[in-house]
Amino acid sequence: MAEVRLDSVIKYYDNVLAVDDVSLTMKDGDFVALLGPSGCGKTTTLNLIAGLIEISDGEIWIGDRDVTDLDPKDRDIAMVFQNYALYPTKTVYGNLAFPLQMRKASKDQIDERVRRTAEMLSISHLLERRPRELSGGQQQRVALGRALVRDPRVFLMDEPLSNLDAKLRVQMRAELKRFHQDLNATMIYVTHDQLEAMTMADNIAVMSDGRVQQYGPPEEIFYDPANLFVAGFIGSPAMNFLYGEVVVEGGVTSVKGDEGWEYPLTPENAQKASHATNGRIIIGARPANFILSREEAPGLIPGSIYTVEPTGDSTFVHITIGEQIFVAITDPFFRADPDDPIWIDLEDERIHVFDEGTEEVLRVDGLNSQSQHGRRTLQPA
Amino acid sequence: MAATALSREERLERARRRKPKRQIRSTDVLAWITLALLLLFSLVPMAWMLSTSLKTQFAALQLPPEWIPSNITFEHYVRLLSPQSEVGQEFLRYFWNSIFVSSMTTLAAVAIAVPAGYAFSKFRFPGRQGFFIAVLIRNMFPAIVFLIPLFIMMRAVGLIDTHLALIITYLTFGLPLAIWLLKGFYDNIPTELEYAARIDGASRFQAFIRIIMPLSSPGIIATAIYAFIIAWNEYVYALTFLTSRELLTLPVGLQRFFDEYVTNWPGLMAASFVMSIPVVIIFLVLQKFFVQALTEGAVKS
Repeated sequence: MAEVRLDSVIKYYDNVLAVDDVSLTMKDGDFVALLGPSGCGKTTTLNLIAGLIEISDGEIWIGDRDVTDLDPKDRDIAMVFQNYALYPTKTVYGNLAFPLQMRKASKDQIDERVRRTAEMLSISHLLERRPRELSGGQQQRVALGRALVRDPRVFLMDEPLSNLDAKLRVQMRAELKRFHQDLNATMIYVTHDQLEAMTMADNIAVMSDGRVQQYGPPEEIFYDPANLFVAGFIGSPAMNFLYGEVVVEGGVTSVKGDEGWEYPLTPENAQKASHATNGRIIIGARPANFILSREEAPGLIPGSIYTVEPTGDSTFVHITIGEQIFVAITDPFFRADPDDPIWIDLEDERIHVFDEGTEEVLRVDGLNSQSQHGRRTLQPA
Repeated sequence: MAATALSREERLERARRRKPKRQIRSTDVLAWITLALLLLFSLVPMAWMLSTSLKTQFAALQLPPEWIPSNITFEHYVRLLSPQSEVGQEFLRYFWNSIFVSSMTTLAAVAIAVPAGYAFSKFRFPGRQGFFIAVLIRNMFPAIVFLIPLFIMMRAVGLIDTHLALIITYLTFGLPLAIWLLKGFYDNIPTELEYAARIDGASRFQAFIRIIMPLSSPGIIATAIYAFIIAWNEYVYALTFLTSRELLTLPVGLQRFFDEYVTNWPGLMAASFVMSIPVVIIFLVLQKFFVQALTEGAVKS
């Protein structure tokens, strides 16, 4: 097992910048998720770590070795692919044996390890089958087995669960997490599914436009997003963003919303808002941090019901404010008719204040230590 | 309602027995007639060839012709294939020459087309598109156009009257389609397979030999058949490039039979029939792969 370190990694495809100066340190034994929308550079980053594509600039270290110019086979890594990439002409046994054969293990050794791995993944009864005779879930296990059959220094996984059905995915998620804990292995896991990242990873690197937007433990990513992108990407339903201008009247700071509402800020939030570069901020509030009221009161944001979605253990309420629609999560028995008036209060200690100009989070002291602009090499907090 | 008059079991049984409706359309009939005509067009000459080859010289020239010879004789085949007779020696030599030239063409075509197809499919290199189009453009010209230029080139390098000249020439006929066919094959093999092999400890070359190539075997076999048939049947270049009698390939050799034994129709037909046997055998044995390569051309991931 080993630490993986990316140092100022850049990757150009022709003239497209796919990975934009990424520096990341994945600690030994960590489960790190590279999370982002499609096209954000996460798979490219993984392929660079694997050595499958050529790096344009920067260095990659695995443990105390500079692997930047090494072939994939010499990096001592294992990888699970989204489409599994099982060898169609080989049996399951042959698939599992292949990595050991290529490393010139003895026949007995290969047999012993293949059977042990198959045992661990409960696929012993499938050893003589060919990949096309297996179900999706079984293929997934074989792909995992091919990675687990030797002791690589790092496991790389490229959306390994995305081709499974929902139920199997939940089950494999738990199993993967358990494998990681049992093996104490360094795992780098690419996904666009925030739930997978949040549930499995020790640290998440949220990526967008080829850059790491934030790198830290799941709780930090969720509760303390560094910028508007991270805030909007993590959480489902997504965070609501209220745009407005900071106004100070009689010693009280409030936000004057573009839709005409005015919301007073607590002293702490006012302090944050005071750092806004052009006097305009974005308030980020998760759906659960909307407090709904049927009664009008000063300092509340007026809106009207768009639609109400009961989900069982809570209710999603879609609310129109001005031209925009926001989502609130409230108690399971909340009911309302379309166009009913509604007033919104925010949980002030839970909301986030972003600079509209830079889209960075605003803190009390005005500094944003987590953002990539703030630090060169990102270490998990 | 009619449905409720039956019990659930009866209705299930009726539903189970119900066959999808099949009706013969006029287009189907048209298709059958066309196919039948085409079949007739290609089979009658072959039947005629076989029939004539089994007749005596006298019966072969009879009018009206006998479709099924009343006296079947194998004397022409015996003479052709016996190494003792003069005719047999000559024929077997041509046969062997054809086998040699065609096999070498096939081997070289596969050896070149497989890596070339893979490179065009998976590698990015300057001029990739241009090269690929250049390879295909070769196929737009009739082969005869290159006869004189190639003859001059072969003479310049001293290859006239060698089998090598033919092998090289046939390669230029077979390779474009072979490369194109194999590229299509490799396009459909997911790149991740090569990636996986390389991560599992293979070099790029090993990954190709051990994982990718076995997957493309239908394409390779199709390429081989194609190259073999081109070389086996070719006439004009063999006639032009070869002068020594002992180097001739079968198509040209048959021509000489025709000249010398001009009256011996059954002998000529027997020789033609023997000539078509290898291709038919190869095709029958490997047609499964050939069809798969042309229709599917893919490995399902």
